[in-house]
Amino acid sequence: MSEALASAGRGHAEPRAVGFVRRFIWLWAVGFGGMLLLAIVFMTAWSATSGFLFDRPIAGDFELVQFGIAIAAFSFLPLCQLARANVIVDSFTLWAGPRLRMAMELLGALVAIAFSIILLWRMSIGMHDYYVHEEYTAIIGIPLWWAFPPMLFSLFLLLIAALISTAETLGLLPRPEPAETPPDQE
Amino acid sequence: MEALQIGLLGLGVLVFLIVIRMPIAYAMLAVGFGGITILSDGPTIILYQLKDLAFGKFANYDLSVLPMFLLMGYIAGEVGLSRDLFRAANAWVGWMRGGVAMAAIAACAGFGAVCGSSLATASTMGQIALPELRRYKYSPALATGALAAGGTLGILIPPSIVLVVYAIIVEANIATLFMAAFIPGVLAMLLFMLTIGIYVMVKPDSGPKGERVSRLELREATFAVLPVVVIFLLVIGGIYAGLFNPTPAAAIGVFLVIVYGLARRRLAWRGLLNSLTETAKTTGMIYLILLGAELLNIFMSRGGVPQAAAAAAVASGLDPYAILILLIIALIVLGCLMDSLSIILLVMPFFWPVVSALDFGMPEDAVKLWFGIIALIVVELGLITPPVGLNVFIINALAKDVPMMETFKGAMPFFLTEIVRTTLIVVFPSIVLFLPRLLGA
Repeated sequence: MSEALASAGRGHAEPRAVGFVRRFIWLWAVGFGGMLLLAIVFMTAWSATSGFLFDRPIAGDFELVQFGIAIAAFSFLPLCQLARANVIVDSFTLWAGPRLRMAMELLGALVAIAFSIILLWRMSIGMHDYYVHEEYTAIIGIPLWWAFPPMLFSLFLLLIAALISTAETLGLLPRPEPAETPPDQE
Repeated sequence: MEALQIGLLGLGVLVFLIVIRMPIAYAMLAVGFGGITILSDGPTIILYQLKDLAFGKFANYDLSVLPMFLLMGYIAGEVGLSRDLFRAANAWVGWMRGGVAMAAIAACAGFGAVCGSSLATASTMGQIALPELRRYKYSPALATGALAAGGTLGILIPPSIVLVVYAIIVEANIATLFMAAFIPGVLAMLLFMLTIGIYVMVKPDSGPKGERVSRLELREATFAVLPVVVIFLLVIGGIYAGLFNPTPAAAIGVFLVIVYGLARRRLAWRGLLNSLTETAKTTGMIYLILLGAELLNIFMSRGGVPQAAAAAAVASGLDPYAILILLIIALIVLGCLMDSLSIILLVMPFFWPVVSALDFGMPEDAVKLWFGIIALIVVELGLITPPVGLNVFIINALAKDVPMMETFKGAMPFFLTEIVRTTLIVVFPSIVLFLPRLLGA
């Protein structure tokens, strides 16, 4: 079904809890974010058709798109990290030995950890600000802070995913088998 | 140190981090964060901005077409549109010398009209067309080279993920850019087919004739691609005609491919989940790079690097076309090393100010379209050239017995064709500008 899911079954040397977390990160990205994306797609298609045929689009549909896509995009980040789908340039370091590669990979994983911690911290404050100052979207009037709990949860999962990939780099956890095709880049 | 020096130093650190395999997104985030911290005497400002910068960036309405077009392309792959396209194209031209390869090119172009990604197009069409090309005993070099080149049509023909990102960086209209990409995209398809024609004239054994099909089969195969035509007309035609904005058009496109898949009983739950998983990975990857590029750009414009680059270009006294050619060469070289999306995000904030500061005797909006299409073509060239020609890797992975060098060799004529096409577009900007002007954009 997905590498995250498939690898969970293979992880013989892996604690069951880690396998569960991998599966949960996939579920969060696809079951929550992916379904949200589909819902936004259907809503937009309906609104555009209804607007075109009967001149009656869904009021403020673009606000729902912005809101929903932002939440969905955040939910994709942990899966992206876990599946190592972030693009790297490896043509310059093909000569490097395994230890050097491990060191370089570790640096990237540490930046990922730092990034998720900083963003988790700053965006919690951002949510607090929106909560206190009560900002709403212009047409439908959704409170902006509503978007933040799922985004913060995604960042928390991103932190977990970055920790898992660090552990993989250090050889503490088995690596999921690489995807059959290189990560899609366009 | 002056701001500009810090900016340039930051660029150097960025390149270093990318070279030592740090994911491009994280390298941008780290350098952007560090640079802004240094230039504003402490992290207060950047920490303040980070409270809602990511939310603001991810909630950009224009960007929302990206996950939708990605999903549309992945589902289109799942439901076998590519198979129908190839069958129809093969029924039309397969009987000619080199015809099966030409059919593969045409099918790639058709698939590119519903898919915005080159790698997805290459892998889908490769799986369909490669067995056929082998059945007719096409030379491995021609078969794999043509498919690797054909894959680039995924991005050259709208919708195109890279074009959306370009539009957002240079603040151009996505719909207008999609119009601008159409004629160059069709030109690419025709030139690729012509290339195959010449190839088999020089090496007749490399592309034997396929079978002629019966009238009935021809008609049936042609009717089978009607859904693709309808989807393209509604989605891209709807954008061209100004009926829909790109986002609603993309949403309608996703809806239509799902309906098609369900109607033909080719889309199961599993296929949908696969498409969503791939969409999630690619979208996450792209959005993270976009966020990194945002931080990097705040840093760079504070350091005044883009402005300095533009000023240096004007002060150099070089002919605008000489500078353009230098930029094109730089893009080709980068294309050999990095993926096209990262290149556009990384260099456009510097290249675009340079280009817009030069006088090409055209209004700035026209230059935006023209340069965007040129850049799109040349960064895609990296997909079929060594050392990291990703399309070549994908096709080669499907044809394990063919040595990698054979595929690169087979792709070479198409590379030359692309150089010819780029030259044509540089010399005749109206290839790009004709359709947008005709449609009154």
